[in-house]
Amino acid sequence: MKPSSEEEGELVQGVGPWDECFEVAVQLALRAGQIIRKALTEEKRVSTKTSAADLVTETDHRVEDLIVSELRKRFPSHRFIAEEATASGAKCVLTHSPTWIIDPIDGTCNFVHRFPTVAVSIGFAVHQELEFGVIHHCTEERLYTGRRGQGAFCNGQRLQVSRETDLAKALVLTEIGPKRDPDTLKVFLSNMERLLHAKAHGVRVIGSSTLALCYLASGAADAYYQFGLHCWDLAAATVIIREAGGIVIDTSGGPLDLMSCRVVAAGTREMAVLIAQALQTINYGRDDEK
Amino acid sequence: MADPWQECMDYAVILARQAGEMIREALKNEMDVMIKSSPADLVTVTDQKVEKMLMSSIKEKYPCHSFIGEESVAAGEKTVFTESPTWFIDPIDGTTNFVHRFPFVAVSIGFLVNKEMEFGIVYSCVEDKMYTGRKGKGAFCNGQKLQVSQQEDITKSLLVTELGSSRKPETLRIVLSNMEKLCSIPIHGIRSVGTAAVNMCLVATGGADAYYEMGIHCWDMAGAGIIVTEAGGVLMDVTGGPFDLMSRRIIAANSITLAKRIAKEIEIIPLQRDDES
Repeated sequence: MKPSSEEEGELVQGVGPWDECFEVAVQLALRAGQIIRKALTEEKRVSTKTSAADLVTETDHRVEDLIVSELRKRFPSHRFIAEEATASGAKCVLTHSPTWIIDPIDGTCNFVHRFPTVAVSIGFAVHQELEFGVIHHCTEERLYTGRRGQGAFCNGQRLQVSRETDLAKALVLTEIGPKRDPDTLKVFLSNMERLLHAKAHGVRVIGSSTLALCYLASGAADAYYQFGLHCWDLAAATVIIREAGGIVIDTSGGPLDLMSCRVVAAGTREMAVLIAQALQTINYGRDDEK
Repeated sequence: MADPWQECMDYAVILARQAGEMIREALKNEMDVMIKSSPADLVTVTDQKVEKMLMSSIKEKYPCHSFIGEESVAAGEKTVFTESPTWFIDPIDGTTNFVHRFPFVAVSIGFLVNKEMEFGIVYSCVEDKMYTGRKGKGAFCNGQKLQVSQQEDITKSLLVTELGSSRKPETLRIVLSNMEKLCSIPIHGIRSVGTAAVNMCLVATGGADAYYEMGIHCWDMAGAGIIVTEAGGVLMDVTGGPFDLMSRRIIAANSITLAKRIAKEIEIIPLQRDDES
């Protein structure tokens, strides 16, 4: 059973048009994981981007350069959207071309602190449709994958979302975005307060959007919401969640817009709608407007 | 001269692993979930079974020792804290995570003599991480020696805390207000993995710089407390005063400097002590 009809596509077994791309993505995610695990034990030079809490290190750049250069070599006609390239001024536009959407280190703040929740995320889209996602939990060495029409897996184990529809029984995951001004903090905390008043079982914050979304895909949480994440945080994870039977939508309750910097994801549509209804908006602009 | 507490500690590790197996087995099955003090304060039959197994195993081997366990207290047993060798047991720390299969669930065993922490075991059983600490002997995770971080600058700190199980509006307001004050300093971030014991162990590893919480119990802290201090960290009350295991409050930090800085930001939530009833 597929999560929604708009994801309908030929169910391919064996040879598919993007098999080679997928295998390369897996290998690169694993290699990146090795580099990150080694770098975790070393001293780091840390810079800030949009705020004092928006961090970047040399390893982010090194991993991204490795992934992008390898993919460019093998697939010279493909396009790229990557976090650090965007930070350096590259335009963030999703066209109809085969496009790789890459986060070299998701959880850079965790990486800097050695908090053991750090991921590499590689998403792939064609004709603006997400084809596959690969997310590697570097410290726990778990590889999450999802391919359109072919299911979602973690280290070979098939993933299935939770079927929970009752917010009063939900475990909710979220992340605070990089904005830390007083107004943003108030809305962020007020959103958490609303969920707790609705008697949600709990809210967890682990410092990585991609891994939080993978926990959702594995059924270990019932919902995720965030304002202030980017398309590279979302691309791979969206395929994985949908292939695990879950729902990924906009915080308004409308269809997901990969460039909108906001998301609600849940095991069921009922849960997703309940979360969306509870949230007040935090405005982060759009990835394709910067 | 024989070291009597090392034998207790070795036995505690064996028991923690047995408890871990029971928990992992129960994770494969459907659970009946019951509520304790609030709709978000959960308990299952597995919590009760694990504690029963731990209590009976320890009593059989050490019949003169005292015991304080979460589910025994919930069943009406009074908490009396004395100088006796005392085992503090949380059979499943992170019951909400357990119910949801969120992969941070711990067995916590703390052992105190003369009211001082002698050893602590925290077994994060889904991740298979065995954290241990023994007074004067260091803190370890799966044999790896632990060291807290060196970060004393709060503006570059990563904190761990929890929102707690209370759903009373005034309590929630204070919890979130404290979080807002800390985030506004600013700090690098706040994390919540859903178990006090594992949060504290993350401080011991240096993966987080400090943990603070109000509303937890002695059994939540008794195992991990000595792991933090043996990793070079400090335990403090949220007021900046001395740590008190029965107070239901804690700051566990890499340093006194950071702990005091956090204490400055925290508004107190009124709580009944574990040794009051």
